[in-house]
Amino acid sequence: MSCDRVQDLLAPYADGDLSAADRALVEAHGRACADCASLLAALKEADEALAGFPEIEPSPALLDRLYRLPAETRPVRPTVRFFLRPSLQPFFAAAAVLMTLVSLYFLNPNRKAFDRAVVRQFHRGVSQVERLYAKAGALTDTLGAYADSVFVALKAINPLAKNKE
Amino acid sequence: MNLEDTIRECLDGKEGAWKMLVDLFSKRIFNLAYQFVGNAQEAEDLTQDIFLKLHRNLDRYDFDRNFAAWLLTLAKNHLIDEYRRTKWEKRNRDDFDDRLRVTASADDGPEAGLAAEETKKVLWEGLNRLSAETRMAVILKEIQGRKYEEVAEILNIPVGTVKSRINRGRLQLAGLIRSAKERSHEL
Repeated sequence: MSCDRVQDLLAPYADGDLSAADRALVEAHGRACADCASLLAALKEADEALAGFPEIEPSPALLDRLYRLPAETRPVRPTVRFFLRPSLQPFFAAAAVLMTLVSLYFLNPNRKAFDRAVVRQFHRGVSQVERLYAKAGALTDTLGAYADSVFVALKAINPLAKNKE
Repeated sequence: MNLEDTIRECLDGKEGAWKMLVDLFSKRIFNLAYQFVGNAQEAEDLTQDIFLKLHRNLDRYDFDRNFAAWLLTLAKNHLIDEYRRTKWEKRNRDDFDDRLRVTASADDGPEAGLAAEETKKVLWEGLNRLSAETRMAVILKEIQGRKYEEVAEILNIPVGTVKSRINRGRLQLAGLIRSAKERSHEL
C-alpha cells in the first residue's frame, strides 16, 4: 500500500474508525515505513494538544461593550430590512442604471437634436422594415408562380389524367 | 428561565434577558473568534460585531432550530467573510503566551511539559496555515470538542465533507509538528 493511501487512513485510524482489515494494513505499513509511523505519532500528539487548548474568559471590558449593545443600537425596522435584502440588489442596480440614463436624457442641453436623431432613426428603421416586408411579399408571389408552373407541368405528364380524358 | 424564554424576552426588549444571553454565549463566541484569528484585540472586535448581528437578526431565529448552532453559524459566516475581506492570513497570530498555557500534570515531569508546550505553540501558529474553512472545522471539532454532526450543522455541509476537511487539517498540523521535531533534533 502506498504512503499516500496510508496517510489518508491515518486520521480515521487514530479515531478508531477503520475496519479490522484496514487497521491491519496501516499497522503493517507503519512497521515498515518510518515516515508514516512518525506522522501517525505526530497526529496523535496534535489531537491531544488541540483538545488541551484552554478556554479564555472574555475581558470585563468586552462584556461591558456587549451588555450595552441594545442601548446603543436601534433595531432595524422591518420595512427598512425588506429593502436591505440581498435578493433586491440586482433590481436596485438595474433601477440605478435606468435612472442614470433618464437623468442623462433630461439634463442633456441638446435634447431637441437628440430627439430629432431618435425620430429620424425610428423612421429609417420603419422604412427598412417596410422595404423588407415588400420584398418578402414579392418573394411569396414568385414562389406561388413557381408552384403553379410545377403543378401545371405535373398535371401535363400525369398518365392517369390522360386515361381519364 | 429556559433559553427559549430568554430569547423571547430579548425580542420584547428586556435588558436583563440580553445580559443573560451575553453571559451564556460570549465566552464561546470569543474563544471561537480568538482561536480563528489568533489575535485577542481582533477577536474582541469580532465578538462585538457578531453580537451586534445577533441583536439585529434575533427576530429571524426559527425556534425549531438549535439556538447555539444558529448563533455559531452566524459567527462562522462573519469570521470567514471578514477573513476573506481583510486577508488575515498575512498577519501574525498573538504570541503563544501564558493565557494559552495549561499547567502540565505533576506526573508528566518538566521535559514532557516543555514538549507539550512546544507542540501547542507549533499548532497555534500552524492554524494560520490552514484554509479558513478547514481551520474553522478543526477548531470546532478538535479544540471545542463538538461532534461531526454539530460541525456539519454549523458549517452547513454534509458530515462526510466535514470529516474529510478535518482529517486533512489534522494531517497538515501533524506534518508541521513532525517537521518542528526534525528541526529540533538536527540542532
